[in-house]
Amino acid sequence: MGANIYRNKKPALVFLFPAFLFMVLFLYYPFLKNILNSFMEIKQLGSAGTKFNTPWYSNYTQMFQDQNVWTSVKNTIVMMIVTLVGQVGIAIVLALMVDNIGRGKQFFRTVFFFPIVISATALGLMFNLIFLYDKGMVNQMLEALGKQNLTDWKAEGIALFTMMLPVMWQYVGFYFVILVTGLNNISEELYEAARIDGATTLQRVRYISVPLLHNVICTCSILAVTGALKVFDLPWVMFPKGMPLKTTFLTGTYMYYQTMETKNVDYGAALAVLIVVLGVVLSKIVNSIFRERDY
Amino acid sequence: MMKKRMMAATLAGAMVLSMTACGGQDSTQQTSSGTQDDAEESVPVELVVTTTFAGEDTNAQNYKEAVKGWETKSGNTVVDTSATADETFKTRVVTDFETGSEPDVLFFFNGADANSFIEAGKVVPIDEIRGEYPEYATNMNDDLIVASLVDDKKYAVPVNGYWEAMFINTEILEAAGVSKPDGSYTMDQFKEDCEKIKAAGYTPIAAALGNIPHYWWEFAIFNNQSPDTHLEIPGSVDDENGQAWVAGMNDIKELYERGYFPENTLSATDDETFAMFTEGKAAFLIDGSWKVGGIVGACQSDPEDPSTLDADKLAKFDVTYVPGKGNRKASDLVGGLSSGYYITRKAWEDPQKKEAAVDFVEYMTSDNVVPAFAQHSASALKNAPEVDEAEFNALQIKAMDMMAGTTSLTGAVQDLFMGDCRVPTFDGMPEIVTGRVAAEDAVAEGLEMYHNQ
Repeated sequence: MGANIYRNKKPALVFLFPAFLFMVLFLYYPFLKNILNSFMEIKQLGSAGTKFNTPWYSNYTQMFQDQNVWTSVKNTIVMMIVTLVGQVGIAIVLALMVDNIGRGKQFFRTVFFFPIVISATALGLMFNLIFLYDKGMVNQMLEALGKQNLTDWKAEGIALFTMMLPVMWQYVGFYFVILVTGLNNISEELYEAARIDGATTLQRVRYISVPLLHNVICTCSILAVTGALKVFDLPWVMFPKGMPLKTTFLTGTYMYYQTMETKNVDYGAALAVLIVVLGVVLSKIVNSIFRERDY
Repeated sequence: MMKKRMMAATLAGAMVLSMTACGGQDSTQQTSSGTQDDAEESVPVELVVTTTFAGEDTNAQNYKEAVKGWETKSGNTVVDTSATADETFKTRVVTDFETGSEPDVLFFFNGADANSFIEAGKVVPIDEIRGEYPEYATNMNDDLIVASLVDDKKYAVPVNGYWEAMFINTEILEAAGVSKPDGSYTMDQFKEDCEKIKAAGYTPIAAALGNIPHYWWEFAIFNNQSPDTHLEIPGSVDDENGQAWVAGMNDIKELYERGYFPENTLSATDDETFAMFTEGKAAFLIDGSWKVGGIVGACQSDPEDPSTLDADKLAKFDVTYVPGKGNRKASDLVGGLSSGYYITRKAWEDPQKKEAAVDFVEYMTSDNVVPAFAQHSASALKNAPEVDEAEFNALQIKAMDMMAGTTSLTGAVQDLFMGDCRVPTFDGMPEIVTGRVAAEDAVAEGLEMYHNQ
């Protein structure tokens, strides 16, 4: 009798059901409904589709002809690379450096982590002021250094850089904290032994820290890549409507633009499906590249 | 085992009790609401109000003061969700109606932007309100209250009229040797003046074409039509009006190519280019009567405190006519009574809010409050009080002088052209002026959307 209570899984199922119901109601049902909506003709937000588009898959054919879709997919992929190299890469360097200092580790942890707790919208507004054309912080500094003309940091050629820089900066601290925690888990004895064998600091990093951080770096990379697919608020605050000339759209901001600004709700639903497909495919690729190892 | 069953039973009991408690709370609320019905008038009401009196709107401060006055008088409170009237705001309001989260009272446009919630029956016609409150808006001249495009019924009680004209920075004009434009100002003269201003090292036109091209859009089209034809939506891009719209878009493109707009006009926000104007870096600004307050605010060390006004700085600004072309004289302006207070069906059917909503609109559109909002623009009051110039600042007086010379006032055609139909030429303006999209194609796309609706 005593052992049987552990074999009976029914109580666990009962307690799992509310969470399951929640997910079905607020995630899977809307998702399936969204797929259906992408084939319907929807006049306005909040109103149901009354009939199917002609042909029913027209939103998907339109997607392939829409230059803005290609721009947004391209920008999203660039954003993924930037987050991978910029966020995780810089976080690794910072974590290794902080791990090698004797005092002030906690101070740097707090300083680097701080941007995470600020809302992306507030950061967007702040960077709008930093990159402001007239009297912005960067242009004033350049002016003080002798530059004659003002630089439009939101102009076509440079806008993507201006958009990605704050996004990258915001999340470095997040990966930094994860990596520092990973470094703390490496046994001090290994470093001690290496020191006795005459290994330099760089050699200890190269042959002990980095290999033993591999799994943590994989986790960070997967989080960074999948996170890049969801970036929305900061780019939208800094570059609403894909400004300038619709060159800064990401998949998320373009879907929002189509749904909320142009009221092309069914096309927005089709773009949402594209984002999900893109997310699943890219996650699979990233998972296969950054496979965790057993030690 | 027994212990575990007891614990499970206790947990289940606690869950049931908490659910009952929630239900109980509801029933308590229902009961209290039932008793409130009896003492309806004595219970303070919280009214959600959305208006366009926010940001740099001339009446943002007047609105705050009027709301405070009504709150003190009625004992009710206002939850103010006002915002600057731009395309995002319009979308927000329409979406709020569609998702059932509309405010109780709304101050909004009475043109095509209101079509969706009027079609859905989500606002109450003035006549229906007068059925129960016969005095409602009777101080207004009914002929001046604009009827809905949907059903020709009147819904929105107007407060103040508006006009669109060209603000000028006289300091820049003097530095460039350009005289103040008058009612006979033409587009050709304007281009000559822009050249002089540009040569003097200033930006001729303050406008963010990638953000708010609306005013240039309106007047560029108007310049290729006449006051009689301006409010006709083209049947197609190939007809006379359609070609006038295309010519209007190409006129803006020409000004862009000549370099009269700010260098960052495609990436700047309207606030940025407005700052260029007030800080003496750009000479001309086409905008509405609501911008008078923004300019005055920029001349105050504390935008909230009129006593901090720098009168010398304000004296450098003036307002005049928008350069004309063809059958449109410069003094033919765009204006009218394009907004008003709506009472939503949701508030009307709420016995607690109905009275408060009616009282709020009656207060905000009363003979005492409206003149403070109307100032230098028109109102729909039957008994509009005499204007006392001593109460106005220098720019308001210049605005009144300018309005005195107006030869006609025509509504804005963009108010009749549904929101999403404007996307190809509003959001698409940067593509049009840079030549990436032909003006003809953008106009055709918008018109096709309009006629499909």
